Amino acid sequence: MNRRTLINHGDALLRRLGLRAGPGADPGPGAGDPVAPPLQPLGSSPQPELSVDFLTELFRNPLDAGYGDAAASRARSGPPGPAARRTGFTLRTVTLIATGALLVVAYQQTVATQPEAATARHSLAQDVQQRQAETDAQQKQAEQLRQQAASLRDAIVGPNASALDQVEARSGLGAVTGDGVTVTLASGPAPTDPVTGKPQSTDQGHIVDFDLQVISNELWHDGAEAIAINGQRLIATSTIRAAGNAILVDLAPLSEPYTIRAIGPSTMADALRKSPVGGFYSYLATSYGVKFAVRSTSGLRLAGAADPGLRYATPITPSSRTATSPSASPGPAPSGTAPSGSGSTAPSPPASKSPPATPSPGGL
Amino acid sequence: MFAVLAMIVGIVLGVVLEPTVPVALQPYLPIAVVAALDAVFGGIRARLDGIFDDKQFVISFVSNVLVAALIVYLGDQLGVGGQLSTGVVVVLGVRIFGNVAAIRRHLFRA
Repeated sequence: MNRRTLINHGDALLRRLGLRAGPGADPGPGAGDPVAPPLQPLGSSPQPELSVDFLTELFRNPLDAGYGDAAASRARSGPPGPAARRTGFTLRTVTLIATGALLVVAYQQTVATQPEAATARHSLAQDVQQRQAETDAQQKQAEQLRQQAASLRDAIVGPNASALDQVEARSGLGAVTGDGVTVTLASGPAPTDPVTGKPQSTDQGHIVDFDLQVISNELWHDGAEAIAINGQRLIATSTIRAAGNAILVDLAPLSEPYTIRAIGPSTMADALRKSPVGGFYSYLATSYGVKFAVRSTSGLRLAGAADPGLRYATPITPSSRTATSPSASPGPAPSGTAPSGSGSTAPSPPASKSPPATPSPGGL
Repeated sequence: MFAVLAMIVGIVLGVVLEPTVPVALQPYLPIAVVAALDAVFGGIRARLDGIFDDKQFVISFVSNVLVAALIVYLGDQLGVGGQLSTGVVVVLGVRIFGNVAAIRRHLFRA
C-alpha cells in the first residue's frame, strides 16, 4: 500500500465517521475533492495538519517536527552563541552517554535474568539426583544391616527363630521368596490433538496411583502373601499415592513401567486375568494402548520393607508383662519404677493407650 | 564522530559500573530502550538533514523515555500493560523504520 492510498483511506474513514461535514467545512487543501490531495515532499509541510489522521502523519514524516522548527528559528535569528552551543554540546554528550549505558544495562538485565532461572533449575535437578543416589545407597545399607540383625537375632533367639521369621515375612518386614505372578503396567501413548498435533490433556491411557491400588488390592484378594511394586514391598501401612505426576509407594517415587510382583497361589495369575480388574485393564490395553501383562513367575524374591516403627504403641515383652501392669509402662524401660513423665500419675486409668498384644501384621 | 565516542563511553561506563536496576523499574527497561533508540535515530536523521538541534534531541530523548515508561505504568495499573506496551513499540518502531529509511536514503542514495 503506498502513501497515496493510505491517505485516501484515511479521508474515506473520516468522512464515514462524519468528522467532516462537507466540502465547505473542510479547511484542508482540496481534501474534499474526489481527486486525491497532492502529496507533499518530505519535511516541507508548512503546517502540520492535526485533522488529517495522525497515523498518516506518523507514517509520512517520522521525524520530530521540533527539528524543523529549530532549524527555521536558527535561520531567522542566526546561529546560537558560544555559551549556548557549549551547553547544548554538554547536554547532547550526557544524553548519548545515558543512551549507551541504557543499552548496556538493558542487555545485561536480559542476559542475566535468563540463565538465572536455568542455573537454578539445573542445580535443583542435580540436588535431587544426588539425594536420590544417597537414599538408594542408604537403603541398600539398611537392607544389609537388617539382614545382619536378623541373623544375629536368630542366633540369640534360638528355637523360636523360625516363628519370628514367619511373623516378619507375613508382616512384610522380612525378605521372602516363592512363586507368583508379575504384572507389568505402563501408560499408553498420549493421544495427540488431530489439529494441532499436541498431546491432549485428557489422557485416558495414563497410569495413575489408582491403577496400582486397584491391581494390588485384587492381588491381595486373589491370595497374594507378599507384593512389591518396582521393588517396594507393600506392608500394612503402605500408601500408594500421587504427588504431582509421580506415583509414590510409601515415600519412594516410582517410574514407568510399573512391575508388580506378588507371591501367592498358582491360581493367582488366572484369577487376576478373569477378575473384573483384569478385564478392565485388558480393555484399557486394547482401547488406549496401555501395557498390561500378567504372567506366572517362579522363584520370585521380594525384599523386606523398611521397618515403619511404632510411634504410639509399645509392644509387650514377656518380662515386662510379669513385672508391671500394661497400663503403667509408658516407655520402653521395663523397670517397675514409677514413670516420671506422661502427665499426672492418677491411679492407672484403664489404658486408653494400652498396646496390642502383638504387632498385628495383617490389618489395614 | 564525537557522538559515537560519547555513546561508547556510556557503554563502557555501563559495563564497568554494572548499575543494578531496581526491581520496580525493570519492566520499563525494554520500552525505555526502544524509546531511546527512536530519539537517537531521529537525531541521526536530523543531523543528516542538516537540521540537528541539541535542545530538541535532549528533550525528545527524555520525553520519549518518560512517556513510554508512563504509558506502560498506566497500562499495568489498568491491567492492559501488555497491549499498551505493544502499542508503544509499534508506534516507536514505525518511527524508527521511517527514520532509518531516511538515513539510508542519505547515505546510499537508495
